[in-house]
Amino acid sequence: MKTKKTKVKATRSLYDLKSAITELKQKFDAESKTDIENLQNRYLGKKGLINDLMKGLKDVPKEMRPVAGQLLNELKANLEHQLTLLGNGATEETADKIDLTIPGLKPKVGHMHPISQAMEEITHIFEKIGFTRVRYPEVDWDYYVFESLNMPPNHPARDEWETFFVDVPKHKQMGKMVLTTHTTNGQVREMERLKSKPPIRMINIGRCYRRQQDVTHTQMFHQFDGLVIDRGIHIQHLKGTLDYFAEQFYGPGTKSRIRPFHFKFTEPSFEVDFSCHICHGTGKKGRGKCKFCKSGWHEVGGAGMVHPNVLKAGGIDPDEYTGFAFGWGVERTYTLKEGLNIDDIRLIYSGDLKFLEQF
Amino acid sequence: MNILIPHRWLLEHLETDATPEEIQKYLSLSGPSIERIYQTEGDSVYDIEITTNRVDSMNVRGIARESAVILNQTKIKANLKPLNIIDKNSLQLTKELPMPKVFNNPELNKRTIFIILKNIKRAATPKWMAKRLIQTEMNVHDSAIDITNYVTHEIGHPIHAFDYDKLMNTGGEIHIVEAKKGEKFTTLDGENFATVGGEVVFKNGEGQIIDLPSIKGTANTSIDESTQNVLLLAESIKAERVRFASMTHAIRTTAAQLMEKNVDPHLAEPTLLKAIELYQDLCKAEIGSKIYDDFSAKAKSNPVKIKLKKINDYLGLEIDTQKIIKILTDLKCEVELQEQGRTTGLVVTPPTFRPDLTIPADIVEEIARIYGYHNLPSLLMDTPIPTIYPKVASFQLENKIKHFLSNIGWQEVYTYSLISEKIALESDCAINQHLKLQNPLTDDKVYLRRSLLASLEEIISNNPQQKTLSIFEIANIYLPRGDNKLPDEKLILNLVSSADYRTTRGALELLLDQFFISNYKIVDNKKTIKPFSQSAEIIVNNVTIGTIGILKSGCVGIEIPIIKLLKVAKTHPTYQPIPKTMPIIEDLTFTLSKETAVGKIITTIKNIDELITGVQLDCVYKHNHTFTIKYHNLKANLSVADIEPLRKTIVKEVEKKYGAKLVGEV
Repeated sequence: MKTKKTKVKATRSLYDLKSAITELKQKFDAESKTDIENLQNRYLGKKGLINDLMKGLKDVPKEMRPVAGQLLNELKANLEHQLTLLGNGATEETADKIDLTIPGLKPKVGHMHPISQAMEEITHIFEKIGFTRVRYPEVDWDYYVFESLNMPPNHPARDEWETFFVDVPKHKQMGKMVLTTHTTNGQVREMERLKSKPPIRMINIGRCYRRQQDVTHTQMFHQFDGLVIDRGIHIQHLKGTLDYFAEQFYGPGTKSRIRPFHFKFTEPSFEVDFSCHICHGTGKKGRGKCKFCKSGWHEVGGAGMVHPNVLKAGGIDPDEYTGFAFGWGVERTYTLKEGLNIDDIRLIYSGDLKFLEQF
Repeated sequence: MNILIPHRWLLEHLETDATPEEIQKYLSLSGPSIERIYQTEGDSVYDIEITTNRVDSMNVRGIARESAVILNQTKIKANLKPLNIIDKNSLQLTKELPMPKVFNNPELNKRTIFIILKNIKRAATPKWMAKRLIQTEMNVHDSAIDITNYVTHEIGHPIHAFDYDKLMNTGGEIHIVEAKKGEKFTTLDGENFATVGGEVVFKNGEGQIIDLPSIKGTANTSIDESTQNVLLLAESIKAERVRFASMTHAIRTTAAQLMEKNVDPHLAEPTLLKAIELYQDLCKAEIGSKIYDDFSAKAKSNPVKIKLKKINDYLGLEIDTQKIIKILTDLKCEVELQEQGRTTGLVVTPPTFRPDLTIPADIVEEIARIYGYHNLPSLLMDTPIPTIYPKVASFQLENKIKHFLSNIGWQEVYTYSLISEKIALESDCAINQHLKLQNPLTDDKVYLRRSLLASLEEIISNNPQQKTLSIFEIANIYLPRGDNKLPDEKLILNLVSSADYRTTRGALELLLDQFFISNYKIVDNKKTIKPFSQSAEIIVNNVTIGTIGILKSGCVGIEIPIIKLLKVAKTHPTYQPIPKTMPIIEDLTFTLSKETAVGKIITTIKNIDELITGVQLDCVYKHNHTFTIKYHNLKANLSVADIEPLRKTIVKEVEKKYGAKLVGEV
């Protein structure tokens, strides 16, 4: 295509010069890049378009001239560069082509511990429905761990076979110093913190200790304990809270169920199950039995209506208020997540990077 | 405790059309949990978990009773059959033998019941009984021995067969007393024990132990191959005494596991009668005495008063009163309705085998579970949300730290709070400044730690495949505060890395940046603080918030109490106007001697003039250290000439103070 040579009009300001440069660039881009020699002459030749613009420099105000000159030199260098490339039979794009199939370089990252991830998720789920997260002592008095929770002195859990005792003298009122065996020790403490005035909606997550060690038990583990106390709280609310948690933590469609159980600090007491995500609570997979669960459900933990004696210990009148509580192991709750497949809970505290790096 | 119940054995007490699967489903929802059904010896065998408060269900009869009530609610036909045992008045006494004399202490024992059976023929256990013993994982011996285990499993009260002649030969007296310390006895399987004092034992007139009641028989009175006459006895030692003796000597027999949970002494009689019947049938036993029964401590259950409103309060809905009464009477409670308008209530007297029913909430549980928890709706609370929060809460800060550090390449770990004596000794605190467990389970977990560093170093050394490893943990340390006080549980952020000091410190500096802490200093510690071989304080606003240093393993360690970080951390920066003038940035390289502290040089340079707004160490090559220096005047642009004298001063000062040598010329 033959382009008619146009005379560029003299410019008077830097602004005009800039527009003229842009115009020229666009014009160059639009050229068919077949006759390189022709382009060379028309743009960079003695009587070429660039030189025309250069001539206009004298019309630019004196103080602006150095800037204007620089701009024109850049333009010239740019066009020269492009024409050189065209002369070599290459375009700018092919020169910088990037191999998109090359594998990425990942920046090094670490990993939050699975228990931290679970605790954060659990906290978030309960905070959304108005629970306050708290933290209470791991080393506590027998009073908060057992006595105030309606556990009589001869209760097996208070035996030295199940509980770690700290080697210090007994407190006259509070009893022995123990490593708490459950986060339930926060219940009466929370009632005390709120000066025995409901409403209470607490979620207490912390470290607990029991004198046992095997594939499903470690001497140290984590629990979370929920407590709700107010007027008119009943079993339906507990069921609602459990269903809400099941759905949020294990995914849509997961259900909870409660079955009779026995704890000293709740009455009635329940065992809490969540429906199996593999067979959805049916216990069947195709024609056979679901291999992941016992019977469609997974036992997760305990719950119940707060025992009147526990409310009394916290200074709350059991004739006026009712409440529910639940407490589960974080490890157990987490390891039931779909496809996680952790079969030895001790790995969690092994500090083995080959394990931790997977999270 | 789990118990095995064969389906056909259950059907001897329960009339029902329910399939084993239905029984499993409905019992698990409203009663004891049937965890599995095994197929053993041609029958379905239920593996049932029974909670410790329901020892009444730890036998075939008890499960039948529960099943009848629960299945009826589901419209499946079910009836508890009457207990099929002989009438105690129909026993035919043939030539009475002398009875042993029993000296009871009602403080220790609630009931003693026994009978003498004569001329027993030793016979193999019949097939039908052996099958049930195998199904319930009990050993098969011969009839004379197995009958006692069989009836305990069926009706629920442990019972013991003494060799009558052996017993009479020890003097014919049974003294039910507390043992003193150091008394010796040998159990029927030949193991020797010495008492610790306080165990309840049977002694003869000479003070010799002749039985460990409710736990295990002793060799000197138990039946053996030569036994011809049997004294069949059931006693009811107080539960806590049974647990004490059983746990102390680690003799965990079925009898002990039942009796430590308060078996109803009323069950002793039907269990005994069932056993007599079987001894007559299987061993051709003759009755050698009347039934001796000392049941002075007979106690009727206390009635529980409950308002109907209470039941509605717990369930959140109203249940028909007649239905409530039906449920309770099916559970063998006596129920009396007290009509008083709005405060209508019930007086519920539980059966003797349900000592767990003592308060209104217990009665609510019975009604609710039989009604079916699965039949209750599920809804969230519409009550007010509490707004009084704990004064100090660092959860958000902790989470931010965890996210940030893991995102920049640090691995979070969880280590045990309990440490070994060896590790406790390596810390900065004397061993007696650590809290110690009275009853540790393993040697490596004895003391409550006062530092996490050793635990983290251990993880680094346990992961040698990692070229460099950076790990962190946020956990408590435990500082004793003297008698009658709980320890101070201090939450600490700990970082340990096998990377070099500059890299590790860089992570710390980035972390501080995250919390908009800019005015920190890292100041050399003159004294050595264990377990660091060399350390420096992290100071913010003239307050030390933590320590960074080199550990024995050569790793770099950082310790920051969360509470201290919380005090200086900010959630957002203070905005600085964007400068209108340009800074001049240039590099100066100095050759430094090995001992020179670079941190001090940076401080020196910064203090030369306020136009020097930034000094950073760039690269280090051998002894050459390149510093990037930023000159900036916020009011006017600096010219090259402006900074020339500053540059000269920097070079002069650094060369003079630190014996450094500038590379190149000014």
